[in-house]
Amino acid sequence: MSHDTLPGLLQHQAAQRGADVAIRHKQLGIWHVLRWQEVWREVQHLAAVLQARGFQKGDALFLLSHPRPQALLLQLAAQWLGGVAAPVDLLAARDDTLRVLQGLRPTWVFAEGEDEIALLAEAGAVPRLLIYADQRGVVANHSSAHLAYAEALALAAETVQAAPQQQAPLVAAVDHAFAFYRLEAQQADQAPQLQLQTISHHELLNEGRRLLRQENLKPQDEALAARAFAASGHARYLLAPWLLAGFRLNFPENLATRDNDRRELGPTLVAGTRETYQRLESLVQQRLPQAGSWRRRLVDWALRTSSATRKPLVVSLRPVAKPPRFSLQLLLAQWLVINPLRDVIGFSRTRVPLLVGEPLPESSLRFFHSLGIEVRNWEEQAYWYVLEGGKARVVKRGHASLTLPTPAVAAASVSTVGSPS
Amino acid sequence: MSSPLLELSHISLSFKGVKAVTDISFAVKEGEICALIGPNGAGKSSLLNVINGVYQPDSGDIQYAGDRLKRMQPHAAARRGIARTFQNIALFKGMSVLDNVLTGRNLKVRGSWLEQALHIGRAPGDEVIQRQRAEEIIEFLRIQPWRNSIVGTLPYGLQKRVELARALAAEPRLLLLDEPMAGMNHEEKADMSRFILDTQREFGTTIVLIEHDIGVVMNLSDHVVVLDYGKKIGDGTPQEVRENPEVIAAYLGTSH
Repeated sequence: MSHDTLPGLLQHQAAQRGADVAIRHKQLGIWHVLRWQEVWREVQHLAAVLQARGFQKGDALFLLSHPRPQALLLQLAAQWLGGVAAPVDLLAARDDTLRVLQGLRPTWVFAEGEDEIALLAEAGAVPRLLIYADQRGVVANHSSAHLAYAEALALAAETVQAAPQQQAPLVAAVDHAFAFYRLEAQQADQAPQLQLQTISHHELLNEGRRLLRQENLKPQDEALAARAFAASGHARYLLAPWLLAGFRLNFPENLATRDNDRRELGPTLVAGTRETYQRLESLVQQRLPQAGSWRRRLVDWALRTSSATRKPLVVSLRPVAKPPRFSLQLLLAQWLVINPLRDVIGFSRTRVPLLVGEPLPESSLRFFHSLGIEVRNWEEQAYWYVLEGGKARVVKRGHASLTLPTPAVAAASVSTVGSPS
Repeated sequence: MSSPLLELSHISLSFKGVKAVTDISFAVKEGEICALIGPNGAGKSSLLNVINGVYQPDSGDIQYAGDRLKRMQPHAAARRGIARTFQNIALFKGMSVLDNVLTGRNLKVRGSWLEQALHIGRAPGDEVIQRQRAEEIIEFLRIQPWRNSIVGTLPYGLQKRVELARALAAEPRLLLLDEPMAGMNHEEKADMSRFILDTQREFGTTIVLIEHDIGVVMNLSDHVVVLDYGKKIGDGTPQEVRENPEVIAAYLGTSH
């Protein structure tokens, strides 16, 4: 049993803690659970369907979906077969997503529903296999290239019965696990270009292990996958740790309910983007009493008291008073203001608040600091490649780009990208 | 879409001698979206009230699902699968969205009042079924984020959607919508239009709606009935109505 790939770890967790809850998903107002054993079985079944349809090692499965367990399980099925998962960020501008899809013409696709299928059609993509989750409004396609997720599972049961499945994943640690695409201009006056970032299983798990060690993540932890896994940071700091530590991954009912669902769950691990934290900050600001009122003065006093008791913020340029010891003042501040405010944003139990991607402004960091939420920025060591004249140009976070021969790790994926239109 | 689900024959209605509608006849096929249009005071809402039994017509009769009736009682209309929404939102403003939607399930509740009161027998199982169905409607209309919000605190457009949810919770065969898009902005209208179309497509519900936005009506409807001063002046497909000289003169011509 290999512990150096994502599917290998899934197999390991299914063997170690098969009856424990791996995934929770809210549907029709109720939290449903999937256990590690069930996840493993479903992934194997989905892999059987993909394989029967001709999916091979190195093929890319494009995921056009908001967070939902079906997307995660299909992604793991593709990776089981040595394939690459290519999540498409549906929160990006629609025109950008359309241009990315026009450039890529995906062959293997998981689409959430009607809107995503329409987007693919608009991009001129004719997938060899398209599995969709939500049947609402989807016009039945009799070409057999379109399969509802439930149909895929039914088909899998037949396939698995006819030919028992491979027990070990067909993937190696050096294989690509993810490919992320974006449309971005390097300079303001330049046209946007299609850029690619790939992550191998080895790299992903290394990053995950680093996080696990540093944050001391345990199987008892709870994480909310509100944006999984359209950004590479989520794959690195949420997906990999989930498989490594064996904690519970929770999916909100949908994107619009994520704040409510977070409040209901009280996750211990949050991997949010700058937008996530800023949205939560404004949620709290909206609820604060009117300035000048005694209630507002109480809140301000509590935030000041709480802030003063904590270690100085690392980004702080000004010296901060040395934290006092436990006091009755702090206890009152926590009880009257801090805990209720943390509850409002669903951080009542959060001990690992991670920031993925762009950094937060110092004012926001200070705000969360005063609530006792020490947001940690795990900067992605992400390289983006642009294919130009047979060379892959490496772009890193707005730094000057460097033209290199196409690196071996990127070559395979880059060659599948095609020319951006 | 074949035989008429609803057929109004020579319906006339007056209030203390003032004629609201005069000799109106039209038919609505099963599964179609029929729009009633006309200027204010044309008798559209009165006609909707005749269909679901709030008003009793002076003359004429209604044929619904194969039964010819001289008059329809509101409770009988609900039992026969007719649900409606109102021009002015009629929700329980102090209750949550979920509770409002659940009130739409009242006629679907099984078990005696005693079972319900003591929560015995069929009541516990039934409660799960009703909640499940209400949640399906909540998901269908994408109002999950406000499931537990108090209706009175929600924006107007959302309240309209909750009212539609409550009507759909009754699993109607015929849905009457009185100005479902009144007071909405362009985006909210587009959303509501999509939900109405989805209702027809997913549940096969027959829909009669009153709407003033002619653009929306023409895109949404299979069939349009035009009223003016209580009389019918047009009846046909959106295209036919658009080309009807009488309609152009009386209504469309002045609106464009």
